[in-house]
Amino acid sequence: MSEKWKEEDWAQGVWYSGKVTRRRVVGWGGGAIGALMLVPAPWRAAFGQAKPYKIGAINPLSGAGAAGGKTALVGVQMAVDRINAMGGVNGRPIELIVADDESKPDVGRRKTSKLVDEDQIDAHVGGFLSNICLACMPVWEEAKIVNMISVCLDTTLTTTKCNRYSFRVHDYAPAQAVAFAPYLIKSLGKKWHIAYADYSWGQSTRDAYAQEIKKAGGEIVETTGIPLGTADMTPFLSKVTGQFDGLLGIFFGKDGVTIGNQAYDLGLTKRYKWAGDGAIAESTNLPALGNKIEGFVGINRYIPIQEGPFNTPEHKKFFDESKARLAKIDPSGPLPDRYVQSNYEAMNALRVGMEKSKFRGREDTMKLIEALEGLQMKLSDDFPTGDKLLRKDDHQAFPLQVIFEIKDGKHRIIETIPGDKTLFPPACKFAST
Amino acid sequence: MTKRTNTSYWIAFSIVLALLIIAPLVLPEFWRRFLTEILIWGLLAMSSDILIGYTGMISFGHSAFFGLGMYGAAAALLMFSPPNLWLALAFGLVASALIALFVAYFSTRLRDIYFAITTLIFSQIFYVIVFTWTEVTGGENGLNFPRPRLAIPGLFSVPFTSETMHWFVLAVVTASYLILRRVTRSPFGMVLQSIRENEPRTRAIGYPVERYKIVAVMLSGLFAGLAGVLYAVQNRFAAPDFIFFLVSGETVIFNVMGGIGTLVGPIVGAGFFLLMREFLSRLFGDQFPYLIPLGVVFIVMIIFLPQGLLGFARRWLNR
Repeated sequence: MSEKWKEEDWAQGVWYSGKVTRRRVVGWGGGAIGALMLVPAPWRAAFGQAKPYKIGAINPLSGAGAAGGKTALVGVQMAVDRINAMGGVNGRPIELIVADDESKPDVGRRKTSKLVDEDQIDAHVGGFLSNICLACMPVWEEAKIVNMISVCLDTTLTTTKCNRYSFRVHDYAPAQAVAFAPYLIKSLGKKWHIAYADYSWGQSTRDAYAQEIKKAGGEIVETTGIPLGTADMTPFLSKVTGQFDGLLGIFFGKDGVTIGNQAYDLGLTKRYKWAGDGAIAESTNLPALGNKIEGFVGINRYIPIQEGPFNTPEHKKFFDESKARLAKIDPSGPLPDRYVQSNYEAMNALRVGMEKSKFRGREDTMKLIEALEGLQMKLSDDFPTGDKLLRKDDHQAFPLQVIFEIKDGKHRIIETIPGDKTLFPPACKFAST
Repeated sequence: MTKRTNTSYWIAFSIVLALLIIAPLVLPEFWRRFLTEILIWGLLAMSSDILIGYTGMISFGHSAFFGLGMYGAAAALLMFSPPNLWLALAFGLVASALIALFVAYFSTRLRDIYFAITTLIFSQIFYVIVFTWTEVTGGENGLNFPRPRLAIPGLFSVPFTSETMHWFVLAVVTASYLILRRVTRSPFGMVLQSIRENEPRTRAIGYPVERYKIVAVMLSGLFAGLAGVLYAVQNRFAAPDFIFFLVSGETVIFNVMGGIGTLVGPIVGAGFFLLMREFLSRLFGDQFPYLIPLGVVFIVMIIFLPQGLLGFARRWLNR
């Protein structure tokens, strides 16, 4: 073949004879990059960028629990963004698949099935309303998917209705009662009247406090159940009379605002010591409560201040970033609440477990469970609120508890109780897996 | 119905039924379960059509019948070991029938909006009872229970799969449809329609209207309870939210969307509503209030398709 074969007739169609210019290189190069971007995701997953882990996150983004569900999502999203920025887990990024349970168990159940069957998630972090958590737990168990419960507080989730696939990385009522009851008796008074949200969480929390207050030498004079979502609590609160030292409130969300305002208006908070679950004075509730919540003493796993155990660089980083993210969804700029905190830490606990077990996907669920069981979480950027243990026997964590007072519209720490001092005996029997 | 239209009807019925039988074999897992759920909600909507479409009584109490059917089944599944499907059905149906009788006795003395409000109040009363009676009903958390096996004593016993669950639900819904179709075409059904058209005249002719209404509410409540049992068996949980009046509201929406007074229409309406909700939530993403566009679709349908999807289809076919 001659050197001039390129000039022969047959070669005209196959040999490019044009001039190679910079414009052409940029043009074709740009086209090639564009085409690469358009290559379908599965192809890229197989041959290009590492296949992401799919993590589901079900929260109420509409309906009764929407306000808290949205802040919960901020927490999990923040953790995922941080993990991805650090290079992902085991070299693979995390893809967060968000689902709205609309605060309804049937929708929650359907969305769970979608995450399991259609989205093919590898693990789940979420669950806000206890009834939805309970409705979905059998689905996670059946699909053999790890479920990191990140807000639901119902005691039975890690006691009578526990299963091997579900973990709760935050506290529960019995541990709170163990931490709070001695303080109530020692510092505020012996005789207590409990007003509680009259449904499962309120009732189980009431029972836990009743038990621990008696154990600490106190007495429950009476209890008043108020149905969830009651806008006018006056008919119930007007019956809260008699000789006792303190009124203990067990409410959350909008009900926390209602009881705070109406108990004050009826003079109950002046007549008696006023204490209760920290959810009453959650940072998102404080603007609506104004000065009526002054003097309230509560207990919580997280309060948005940078003092005491929260005066750490790790917490400051968490606090600043979550505050900035919350401002994007709520222009009033609320401070982070316990929902942001527990979702953030639940996602990070999952990451630690995934790395420890070299988790590849659902087929490694049992390895992941074993890695999470007994997980010791140490103060770090992953766990900015401090050390905690994820107990093997019931998959229940025992974080630090903070007894606080509201003074000048802000949380002020009275006492902190380390998680290991709030231990409550496990009451869970796992079915064989 | 002429002989020709009757034949066309049964051909169409057989085709739809055949498609529904084949569906779980070709659909992926999620859509298989979704279709089964559509059938269950469709049965609930169809049961309320007896009152809304045939008797002219708008009920907001169907959530109570549905929910108590569910809790009745839950009681049987928790009380007996191993859990028994037929006991769950029996308990659920008895619970819903008793509640329907109780509600019917008081509410059928009233008409129009007063009937609707009374049924709504009853459903809320049952909701509060279930919600607060935690020791028995599990309160807000509801009840979780094991799924029974699909069994006919002495013949066979197999665990439910998503396919067999679908076929079981399809069989129950088809049988319910055929029974209700027969009922609405019977002299009893004609009297119900007569009550709908002109209650004083029906009474003047000599029909004991109240008694007919009581039977209609009971019949309707019984099939709503049956839907509740199916839902409980499929999902293995019962929650007070299902007794809340919003479920009754959705049932009315299914009827209006599909076409009231047609029996099949409410099933179509349930399917359309649930599919639209799923489609919109996927289109806009879960963080967008996608129920707003769904509301807009509903309003548009009310304005332009007041007879519902089936009514529109009928009119279009008869052009």
